[in-house]
This record gives sequence, C-alpha cells and structure tokens, in this order.
Amino acid sequence: MFRRGISILLLITAMLGAHLALVVWRDTALPLSAGRLRLAEFITVFASLAAGAIGLLGMLALHRKYLTLSDTLRKIVAGGKLSPLHSPDPDLASLTTVINELIVHAQTTISTASVHGKELEIRMKVAMAERQHAESIIYSISDAVLVTDSFDELVLANESAARTFDFDLAKSGRAPVGQVLHDQKLIGLIREMRQSNNKNERRIVEHTVNSPTGGRTFKLTLSSFVDRANAAASTTSKLAGVVAVLHDMTKEKELGEMKNDFVSNVSHELRTPLASIKAYVEMLIDGEAESEQTKLEFYEVIQNEANRLGRLIDDILNISRIESGLVKVNKQPQSLAVIIKEAVEVILPQAKLKNITLREGLTPIFYQTVADRDMLYQAVLNLLSNAVKYTPEGGSIEVQTVVDESKQTLVTRISDNGVGIPAKDLPFVFDKFYRAEANNRMAKGTGLGLSLVKQIIETVHGGKLSVESIVGKGSSFSFEMKLAA
Amino acid sequence: MSVETATDVIVDGVPAGVQKTILVADDETHILHVVSLKLRNAGYHVLTARDGLEALDLALAERPDLLITDYHMPELSGLELCQRLKQHPSTMGIPAIMLTARGYDLEPADTESSGICCMLSKPFSPRQLLATVNEVLRGIAA
Repeated sequence: MFRRGISILLLITAMLGAHLALVVWRDTALPLSAGRLRLAEFITVFASLAAGAIGLLGMLALHRKYLTLSDTLRKIVAGGKLSPLHSPDPDLASLTTVINELIVHAQTTISTASVHGKELEIRMKVAMAERQHAESIIYSISDAVLVTDSFDELVLANESAARTFDFDLAKSGRAPVGQVLHDQKLIGLIREMRQSNNKNERRIVEHTVNSPTGGRTFKLTLSSFVDRANAAASTTSKLAGVVAVLHDMTKEKELGEMKNDFVSNVSHELRTPLASIKAYVEMLIDGEAESEQTKLEFYEVIQNEANRLGRLIDDILNISRIESGLVKVNKQPQSLAVIIKEAVEVILPQAKLKNITLREGLTPIFYQTVADRDMLYQAVLNLLSNAVKYTPEGGSIEVQTVVDESKQTLVTRISDNGVGIPAKDLPFVFDKFYRAEANNRMAKGTGLGLSLVKQIIETVHGGKLSVESIVGKGSSFSFEMKLAA
Repeated sequence: MSVETATDVIVDGVPAGVQKTILVADDETHILHVVSLKLRNAGYHVLTARDGLEALDLALAERPDLLITDYHMPELSGLELCQRLKQHPSTMGIPAIMLTARGYDLEPADTESSGICCMLSKPFSPRQLLATVNEVLRGIAA
C-alpha cells in the first residue's frame, strides 16, 4: 500500500515536472535568461528521470506479480491438481479470472475424460476376460483346434493342436500356417477352404497324421467364418478365416476293428466245432460209418464238439459280461488254498492220464482274500488246465501260494515244465482268441481261457496277473491278490 | 465253376480209370478224419496233412490230382500253400478246393493266381464236398 502511494506521488511529480517543462518549452519564444533556462533544464531532466524511475518501478512490481502468478501456476501443474487461483491483486484480477475460467473448463474436460477412460478400461477388461474365457474354452477342448485368418496366418491354436502337430504354442501366434505346420495336406485343405470364399461352408474329411509313434486318424472338420463386426458394416463381407477341428478317431477306429475282429473270431471259433458236428451227423445219416466201432467214434466226436461249442459260448458270455460290468460279483473272504485244492482235484484225472506229477505248496487256509469264489475257482482251473494241456507226458506241475507280509498280498504261482511260450507270443497270450501258433498242435483251445483269467483277476478283483516262459523249459503264471484285512 | 447241390448230383465211386489221389490239409483232426473217410469210401486215394508246410512237402513229393485245404492253418495258410504250389512246374496244375470257417470269400485275384477253383464254407456238407470233388476231377479229365 505504501509502495503504491509512493508510486502515485512520484507519478504526479513526474507529470508536474513534465507539465513545467512543456510550459518552459513553449515560452522559449521569449528570449531565455540563463537562470530560467537552467531551471527549465533541471525540471525537464528531473521529470524525465522521475517518470523513468516510476515506470521502471511499476514494471518491476508488475513483473514480480507475474512471476508469483506463473510460480503458482507451475505448482498447480506440478501438483497435478487443478484449483482456482485466489489473488486479490486488482492488477491481475482480469487475468486471474480468465485463468480460473480456463482451469474450471480444464477441470470439467479432465473429469469427463476420466469417466470415459474408466469406462473404456472396464470395457477393455471385460473384452480381455471374454477373450481369455473363449481361449480357455478352446484350449480345454481335447480336439485339436486351429484358427487361421484371411492371410492363412495362425491366429489361434490349442495345446492339443500343438501336441498333434508338434509346434511351440508360444511361438506360433500370427505365423503363416505353412511355417507352423508341416502337414502339407492339411495346409492345402485350409487354403482351399479359405480360397473357396464360401461363408457357410463346412467340410468333413478323414485325415491321417503321421507321427514317429505311428499314424493317427482324425475326423477333420473345416469351417469358414466371417468377421461379425465387419459383416454388420458391409453387405459384401469377406471371409475372415478358417477353423479346423481335428477329432482323434484312432481309438474309436481301433475299437471298431477290435469289435469286427471279435465277431469274426467268434464266428470262426463257433463254425469249427459246428462243422465237425454237421459233417459227422451227415456221415451217420449217409451210412458212411460202417462198423459199430466207427459209429461210436462218431457219436463221441459229436458229443465232444457239442461240449466244446457249449464251453465256447460260456466263455464268450462270461468275458462279455465281465467286460460290460453286467456280471454279478459276490465277494466274500475266501481261503485261496481251499479253492486251489478243489481245482486241483478236478484237474488231477487229466494230469494222471498224461502221467504228469502235480505238486502243491500252499499257505495255511487261514490266509484269506476277498473274492468271488466261483470266479476265482474258474481262473485257477483255467490256469491248471492250460498247464496240463501244454505239458508233455511225464512232466510236472507245481502250484504254490506265498504270502508277502510287507505288501499284504497273496501270490499264487502255477508253473509247469511244458513246451513254453515263444517270446514273440508272450505279450499277447491274454488277448482274446490269441493262440501261440507254435503250440496250436499241442492242444485245442478257444484262445479265451487266459483272457477270462485276466478279466477275473484284474478287472473283477483288482489283482495282477503275469507270465514268464522259456520255450522248451516251461511256463509260470502268477497272480497277486490283496490279503483280506 | 458253379457247385451243384448235393441232391442234383448222383455220384458214387471214382470215375473209371486210374485211382485219383487227393491231398487233404486241415489242422482240425475231426475234419481231416471225416473228409478222408468220405473220399476213401468213394474210392479215392487220400493223403492227409495237418499244417501248410506238411501239405506242401507231401504235394511236391506225391503230386496229387486235387488239393482240399483249410484256409486257416499253422505254419502256412491254405492260400499261401496254393500260391507256393503254383510256383513249382510239377504242382502248378493241381486244382484246389478251399474250406474256410472265416465266412468270407477271398479276392478273385487271390483265387485266380493260386489255382483255387472252389470255396466251401464251414460248416460244410461232406456230400456236397464229394460232389464238388467229382465235378472238378471230371472237368480235368474232360
């Protein structure tokens, strides 16, 4: 306030000085005396200096105010928080008002932008989540999925696809499909689909993928798709890409083949004894068996073959019942030693016929296992019957049971010193209808006995069946079952 | 060659002339027995073999007039046996009748290249088999 008063005083003085100077100047029409001239000069100089000083002071004061103002503005900018200026200075009042108006405008704009920004952020998060959701659905599909765009670039693939076609999922994004896959046929099919430009086309083909572990058969479904966003914008929408889905049919195909093989094997096995029955009956009708002895022989053949047919049907039914889970299992604590003894008694006459020695080494009967008595008896009987069949005259068979206390299991071993099984046949002896060709002559069989044993021990009782054999030395079949608690 | 039904054909005994030799190969003892009995009763000379290799050796040594073979046999299948016989000049002309329990027919290319003239499906009628045998042998004689 004081400085302001001084400034005004000085300004008035300067104006007076200037006025005097002008008066003096105007009067110069009159001859000037030396004293008057000096006074006029003095006043002029003083007035000029005073005016200059006043102007300078005013400017300095104003400059300082602007500095303060810009300082305040800088602080606002640095602080990032816009707030109206409060300056009572009348010199800056209009400027402050304009700045404040600007600040208010900026504040409104910023807050609107921030709302929009937040909205966009949420939308983006939703879109990301939706994309991730869609991707995880595609990743979780067990079928191989490959999605290519209109430039034949791989835009999406799942793990199953990466596994099937052996590529790195992390590095395959947006790479040309021809670089990622090495399956030229599939690449060709995808290209063909894309080039056809048919938006609603779907094509299903059987496709084989070769791998070091062997060929796998897939049902390949190729579909083209249009970009929905672009499709809405224009009526002449272009094809956006191709989706290839590969469903592994190898197992289904194998199962189908197994079923066919099974039916074919069953029909073959049933036809063989039936052929004998039919032929012998016809021979009897035609009177080809002349002697009573021959007739008796024929009757016996017919009876044996009819029995064989019956056994075969029983075995097939038992196996299918177990496999389909239809069989009723009655599990009770059983003494394996008792079951084995019963089976041995049944098989003993056949062994005696071939002069085969049967030795037993059984655990005390109080060792029990939870089992279906009839089924377990059937399994033991089948193993013993095989041992007798494939052991030559004068051979020996040993049945042993051993308790493994540490594993709480009961191991049963049926060993013979018979013809043995060739190593090449060993992995297949438990397969349905499989018979080691080398031993075909040794005995007749359906190729179902061991398959049934495996089903009974492993599928029904959760045990473990195994075989060891050396050709010419003999075979040893073992099965392991849990001891009853 | 068409096969006539048993009722249409009246055959008994061997056509006049030299006794014909027939080789029967089957791993099923009962079938082997019944077929050879039927043929022997009809006056044929019958040789038997229980697998493909044995049949091949017998055929090469004895040069039978006809071969009756099962399809499914150990060592050598019926088809392989016929194909092997076709490779030898001394046995390439022997006609063969194939018995099969598989229930399917062989490819025409297989039968043509192996001298198989008839296929009979198991279960079969020994009567019908004998009729076929007579017809085949008569065809050769004519």
